[in-house]
Parts: sequence; C-alpha cells; structure tokens
Amino acid sequence: MLKHRTRQTLLLWCFLAPSLAIFLLYRVMPVVWNFVLSFQYWSPLKPAEFAGFDHYEDLWYDDVFWQALWNTLLVIASAPIGIALALGLALLVNAEIRCRDVYRTIIFLSYPLMTVAVAIIWRWMFDERVGLINYVARSLHLVDKPIPFLNSFTWALPSVIAANIWQMLGFYMIILLTGLQSIPHELHEAAAIDGASSWRRLRSITLPLLRPSIFLAFVVGMLNSITSFDLVYVMTGGGPGRATEILVTYIYKLGFVQTKFDEAAAVTIVFFVLLIVTAWAANRLAGGNAGAAEIE
Amino acid sequence: MKRRSIMKGALAGAAALAAPAYLRAQSSKKLSVLTWNIADQEELFKKEFAEFKAANPGVEIEWLDKKGPDLPAFYQTQIVAGTPPDVVDIQGALWVDYAANGGLVDLTPYLQKEPDVAKRFNQDYLGGWVYQGKTYLLPFYVAKTLLYYNKTMYRDADIAQPPQSFDELIAFSNKMAKGEKTGFLTLNFDWLYWPLFKMNGVELLSPDGKKAAFNTPQMADALGKLAKATADGGINKIAWTGRWVEPNGAFASGTVGMLHAHSASYFFVKGQGPWINEQTLGATQLPGFWSTPTNHGFAISKGSRNPDLAWSFLKHMTSDKSAGNLFRERRVLTANIEADKAGLEAIEKTDPLAGAVLRTQTEHTDKLTGNWPLPYDAELKDAFWPEIQNAVLGRKEPKKAMADAERAVDRILRRKA
Amino acid sequence: MNRYPRWPIHLALIMASFVMLVPFYWVAKTSVSGENIYAYPPSIIPTRVQPFFYVDVWYAIPFARYFLNSLAVSVIAVIANVIFNAMAGYALTHGFRGKNVVLMLFLSCMMVPFQATIIPAYLITGKLGLLDSWLGLALPQCSTIICIFIFKASFDAVPRSLIDAARIDGLPEWRIIWHIMMPLSTAAIATNVILAFIWSWNNFLWPLIMTRSADMQTLPLGLARFLSYQEDTTGALYAFCIMVLAPGLLLFLLAQKEFIRGLTSGATKG
Repeated sequence: MLKHRTRQTLLLWCFLAPSLAIFLLYRVMPVVWNFVLSFQYWSPLKPAEFAGFDHYEDLWYDDVFWQALWNTLLVIASAPIGIALALGLALLVNAEIRCRDVYRTIIFLSYPLMTVAVAIIWRWMFDERVGLINYVARSLHLVDKPIPFLNSFTWALPSVIAANIWQMLGFYMIILLTGLQSIPHELHEAAAIDGASSWRRLRSITLPLLRPSIFLAFVVGMLNSITSFDLVYVMTGGGPGRATEILVTYIYKLGFVQTKFDEAAAVTIVFFVLLIVTAWAANRLAGGNAGAAEIE
Repeated sequence: MKRRSIMKGALAGAAALAAPAYLRAQSSKKLSVLTWNIADQEELFKKEFAEFKAANPGVEIEWLDKKGPDLPAFYQTQIVAGTPPDVVDIQGALWVDYAANGGLVDLTPYLQKEPDVAKRFNQDYLGGWVYQGKTYLLPFYVAKTLLYYNKTMYRDADIAQPPQSFDELIAFSNKMAKGEKTGFLTLNFDWLYWPLFKMNGVELLSPDGKKAAFNTPQMADALGKLAKATADGGINKIAWTGRWVEPNGAFASGTVGMLHAHSASYFFVKGQGPWINEQTLGATQLPGFWSTPTNHGFAISKGSRNPDLAWSFLKHMTSDKSAGNLFRERRVLTANIEADKAGLEAIEKTDPLAGAVLRTQTEHTDKLTGNWPLPYDAELKDAFWPEIQNAVLGRKEPKKAMADAERAVDRILRRKA
Repeated sequence: MNRYPRWPIHLALIMASFVMLVPFYWVAKTSVSGENIYAYPPSIIPTRVQPFFYVDVWYAIPFARYFLNSLAVSVIAVIANVIFNAMAGYALTHGFRGKNVVLMLFLSCMMVPFQATIIPAYLITGKLGLLDSWLGLALPQCSTIICIFIFKASFDAVPRSLIDAARIDGLPEWRIIWHIMMPLSTAAIATNVILAFIWSWNNFLWPLIMTRSADMQTLPLGLARFLSYQEDTTGALYAFCIMVLAPGLLLFLLAQKEFIRGLTSGATKG
C-alpha cells in the first residue's frame, strides 16, 4: 500500500514537472531577479550597489505610484462586470437555439484581434470630435455637447475599461462555456423531470458546478490589470495626466523609458504582492482549492 | 525501445530548432547597426551597405530596425546581455542618458583627428549632440518644428497672414473655431510644444541646471491663455492628449487651421489629405522663430568590438553622397551642408510645397529650444508634462499646476545632484 | 424537453453581436478603403473600395517568412501546452503533500507582468542557447496556468466512479488521462488549443526582444512597418491586422466543432 502511494505521488510530480520547469525559468526566477534588484541601485551599464529600502521609501512618497495603484484597483474591481456579462452570454449561447455557432463566433471575434488594432479603433470611437460614439449620441440627440471621453480626467479610465471589456468578453465566454459544457446533461434533465424551474436549476446546479470556471474567470479578470498594458499604452499612454496610468504601464515607463530598472523592480514586487493577496482572498471566497472538490 | 528513439528524435529536433540563425554564419568582422524606424529606406541602405562592404572587404553588416517605442527596450536588453549593436541611431534626448552612464563612445578624439568630418555639418545641429564638452553622435537627419496652416480656413476667417506673436496665434485660433473646426494643434512628444512657452520668455531650468525656473508669471499667463483657448475650442484638445497619428490625422482631415509639427509630418499629412497643395497649405515659422528639433544621430555603443570600423561606417553614412541620397529618397534634412543645399535646390523645382517645408528646416537654427542635454530627460518629461496637461485641460489652476511641477522637478534635480 | 420562447434569446444575442461587431466592422472597412478615420462625419459605407492594401501588406514585409515563423512557434506552443497542461491539471485533481504550495505557486506565477520579466527571461534564454530560434520563441509560452486550471476544472467534473473503475481495472495513470479524461474534456482541449494559439500568435514583445535576424521575425513584428512615419498607413495597417487575425479565427471555427462534439458525446457516457 505504501509503496503504491509513494509511487503515485512521484508520478504526480512527474506530471507537474514540465510546467513547473517552465514557470521556474520564466516566472519564478524573474520575480527573484526583481526582488533582489529592488534592494539595489543598478543600471545596465554600472555594477550594483546595495540600496536597502530606499526604492520602497521613494514609492511611498511618489504620487504617481499611488495614482497608478488606485487605477489598478479600479481595473481589478471592474472584472466582475465583464464576467457577469460574459456569463449571461455564455448561458444564452449554451441554450438550444439555432445559429448558436454564429453567435459564439461573432462574440469571440474581438479576442484574436491584435490589441494595437483594438486600441486604435476604440480610441477613435471615443474621440470627442470625430468619434463614432459621440456622433451617434449627437445624431440621436442624447447629448448636445460632445462627451470628452479620453480627454477627461474622469472618463478616461472607464473608457479604457470599456474597451478592455469589449475585447475580453469572448475570452471570458470561452472559459465559462468550457465549464458549462462539462456539467453533465443528466443533472439538468433529472432536475427538469423533478419539476425544477430554469431559474432554480441555474442557482442550484449550474452556478455551484461552475464555481471553478468563475473563479478562473475572476483570476483572468484580475490579470487584466497586467495584460491590458498594450491597450492602455496605445490608447492613452497613461494620460491625460495620470488618469489612466496603471501599475504595469508605470513599471514599463520606469524601466524602459527612464532606465530606472531598480525602481521598476520595486513597483513590480509591490504589484506582485497586491495580486497574490487578492488571488488568495478570491481563492478563500471560492472555498479553497481553486473552487473545486478534491479527489483523494 | 520505441520510447528511446522517440526521445532521440525529439532531442535532435529540439537542437535543430534551437541553433540561433545569426550564429550559424561566421565571418571575420561583423558590424551590427540598429536604426530607428527607417525601414522604408531598405533599398537605399542596402546599396550604401554594399558600397561600404566593397571599401572594407570581409565586413558583414547586420541591419536591425525598430520602432521608436520599441527601440529602447530592445537596446537596453542587448546592453545587459553584453551584445549591443555597434552602431545605433537615436532620436531625441535618450542618448544623454546612455552617454552619462558611459554607454556610448566619445567621438571627440575621432573628430579632432579628422576635422573635415566635423565641418560637413551645420554646427548648430552638431552642437546638439554634445554633453559635458564631448560629442557623442554624428547628425543623421533632422526634423524641427514649423507651423503649417490651412490657407482655405485662413481665407474663410479673413486672416491675411500667419501669426506674428503668441497672442495673435491664440486670437487666430479662436477666430477659425466654428462648429467642428478648430484653430490650432500641436504635437506634444519630446518637448515639441516647448516653443509655445519659450516665445513667452519661459525657461525650463536655471542656467546651471540645478533648479526649476518655469514657475513664473509669464508661464502662468501663457498657460491660462492656452487653457482658455482649449476650453473655447480654439485649440483642439487632441493637442494635449494625442500622440503622433491623431493630431496629424486631424489636420489632414482639413478641419484644423494650424498645425505645429515637425517636417516629417508633411508627408503623412499630404498622404491623408487629398486637399493639400500649394494653394491650400502654407508652411512657416512660429512667432519668434523658435522651434524644437527631433534629430536623429548615429552613435557607437561602448560595448562594440570594432569601434574604429564603426567610425568608418558613421563617416560613410553621413558623407555628402550618402546624405544627398537620403535627402533625395526620404526628403528630409540631413544637417550635412552640401547635401542639404543640393537637395533643397532640386526639390524646390520639382515639389515647391515640400521644398518650402524643408527650407524652414535650414532657417533659424540658432533658435532651437526644447532640447536639453540632461541624462534624466525622460524623468523630467514624465514629471512635467502631466502638470501641463492638468493646466491646459482645466483641471488645475495654472499657478497650482506649475507649483506642483516645480516641486516634482526640483525633487528630481536634487536627487541627481 | 423544455418549452420556453426562443426569440428573447435571439434578441439579446443579436444586440450583443451588434455591439461586438461595430468596432470590427470599422477595422474591416478601413482595410479596404484606407480612408482617414479622423474625417468627420464618419461614413458608414466605405468610399473608394480597393483590395490593394492586402497586396501592399504582402509585399511590404516578407509576409510568407514571418507567417512561417509564427506558425512554427505557435504549433510548438500549442502542442506543448496541451500535453503539459493536461498532465499538470490531472495531477492537481489529486490530493498530495505540498499540493497547496504548488497551487499557490501556480497562481502567483501569473501575477508578474511580462514587462518586468523581459531582461531576466532574455538572459535565461541566452544561457540556454535558444536565442533567435523557434524553440526559444515558444518556450515561455509552452505552459500557461490559466489553461492548466481549465483542464483541472474539466477533470474535476468527471464522475469519480469512472476513475475508480479504471483504477480497479489496473489502468496506469497516464492511460487514465489519455483514454478517459481527455475524451471527456474535448471542450477543454479545444479551449487550450485556441488560447495557446492566440497568445503565441499575437505575442509581440517577446519576439521583439528575442530575435535579431531578419528571417526569424514573427508576424506581429511586421506591424512596425505599418505604424511608421509614412504616407497612407491606415489602410495597410488594418489590412495587416485582418490578415494576422485570420488564422486564429479559422482555428476557432475549426475547434468549435470539438466543442459541440464534447457536448453531445461526452458526459452521457458511462
């Protein structure tokens, strides 16, 4: 019995090995590099000197950092909106209707499009003078003055978030659909025979079994604060002022525009800790184990 | 048994996939050249590289071209990895950061040995590449700002001639603003907007470069006027929030009266705006003749293994012949005096409008501004520009915005001292 | 059989489709007309339609070579992803000592922005001798945590009875994965394939930093050619974006069938 158990555990670790190796090389080691760097003074052309907590202290007094942090939190908080919309779409697309494939394809269309194209088009759509949204709003007499979306300090970030949700809807939908389709049909049929309404079935069967996928979608939504770099950078560059500056654009600017890799490393570590804490909290909310029951 | 042969096959496959292409071909001397967004001149460069290789047998040239935002990321990664390109084409003030950190080869000794090379260039443009008394780059091509104006909109608004002062600039902008039309746009990357403040007598830093000097009544006054014109529609908001394509595209659509941009914009705007010809587009200097240059220069990386070869390459690419070719093909000023003279004469005959645009590039080169040899230029920009945006977009009072900016800038300067 | 009216569903989906399509329509429209999108008022119908931007794109960059590079890298990434992720996802459905540590490690691995990992990733790839090569380009993307969790979620839904029966029958673990879990998870496989392909295909920053020779560039790097200071880039730019989009879309259409197959054949087994 014991030998079999150990052998099985060993086998499981072998299964994990390739993925672990890749993450070790390309994620864990870079984090360690950043961690070490955040305590040093370093530039590509000079040797490193110990800096203690200087960089973290600089961040504490850095207005831009706090603004970027706040914006990042807003981006993370907007993830549930996209997920809720996508869940609705996934449920609709999962229903027994004709042309389901067509709808699914159309909704997914935005995701494979290069982010640069998405950014340029949405930038134009939000344009105050010549943009489509303002054009339509004014043609329909919804507003009499054009709305300064990307020129306004209050509307810039919501506009970027809207473009981001547009791009990500298809992606969220796919994750949720995958989860929906692994729920056995028999459960639904049995419940229907027992007389449960669609709504009841949704609440008692679908949503609980969908928890791992929803948790996953939330993690993806959280990571939007990282992966939306291209979108923010091309759409607004972090402006106007710092209204759309998020931590990841700030990291890039510090590192590659201002050549201050050590400060960028400090911001990276702070960002990393923030995300870990949020993910851990989400994991607890989902009931631990990334939302699923365990096989022994 | 089967598994082992699969493993072997996989390993062999992996090895084949892994061998880097540029290591497979070995040659005696290799020069790698990194240029900034000039891939459209591929034919011309291939010819010039061939000429250089003919004059220097056994030399291989590896040509890399990256777009502006990507080049620093690429270049710095290469520096850290120890394989920087020998020659690099740099725009704007990024070079000062590299030079101050010892990343570029000092070209002054080379120039002292061969004074003819230095004499090729317009001395104002060459002087823009000097840091702490040492020259680090040779001019490749230059583009400084000028004022384009829409003659049709001028006529419609009864404006006879381009503005001669800051107040006229604001007044004309407001006059032309009607409905969807606006009066004025400026590009704003790399301090391109600075002439607007310089013409009001504002300096960015004190002469010793240790303190912010822009928090003055003149600055607050100018900002206030710009903010009001922006709110009234005279100045298009894209001036403050757009990058390169939006402002140029907006002017090309024919709804903006004036565009303050560099000479490179001309070709983009002409391509996007079929209405543009000699009768409808004018090119002139800003009031006060101030302009900000966005210049490109060739530098040699400190990590280069063949600095002397790289120097020969620099000489070749900035020679009268090569510069003349560049002018002709790309219609841009090269700062090489002979090439520019010949090029201008030719183009004024064939394309007078382009000629007029390019002629502004040779005028008033003593009034260049917005170009400070500071290693922390990017940091300064990042601290200063958002406050300008705050002021002109009406979010903060100009005085407060400038006070905040002064604090941020002074903090940067103190730390660098 | 459930009887509920279908038309509200169609209505909702049509509205959603409209919202998703509008920006897309503009990209497509500009790719055939090349008009200045900053002209006002915006025109719904394209003027001066011509397909030559697509031809321009083909000749402006070495399209075929870039396409080949992108394809090779993406194929490697997709195959590696499906294999590695399924294995890891399966391992995570079991309890074992250190499992929570691994779980948290995987989760936290995602939390680091790529921009902050460029330099160390480059140095590591250099040490491995994989610079400027297909394998080097694909390696960082050969396993993604999101896809591991997708497999895990899908495997978690497989009834325990099936697995227990297989174990009693004496099937080795890898056989369980291959013959039982995978066929029931075609949706997860399809998702893995699509996502791994798109991420690898659209990846811009890593190939930018990593490749030096002109013939190892991937397709998105050709983008720079159309965003440069040039006349008339807009039409070609959007044509280029559509051409880059096409393979991912095609793959999605093909993989969609797997979705359906998974739905009808999968869970009713047993």
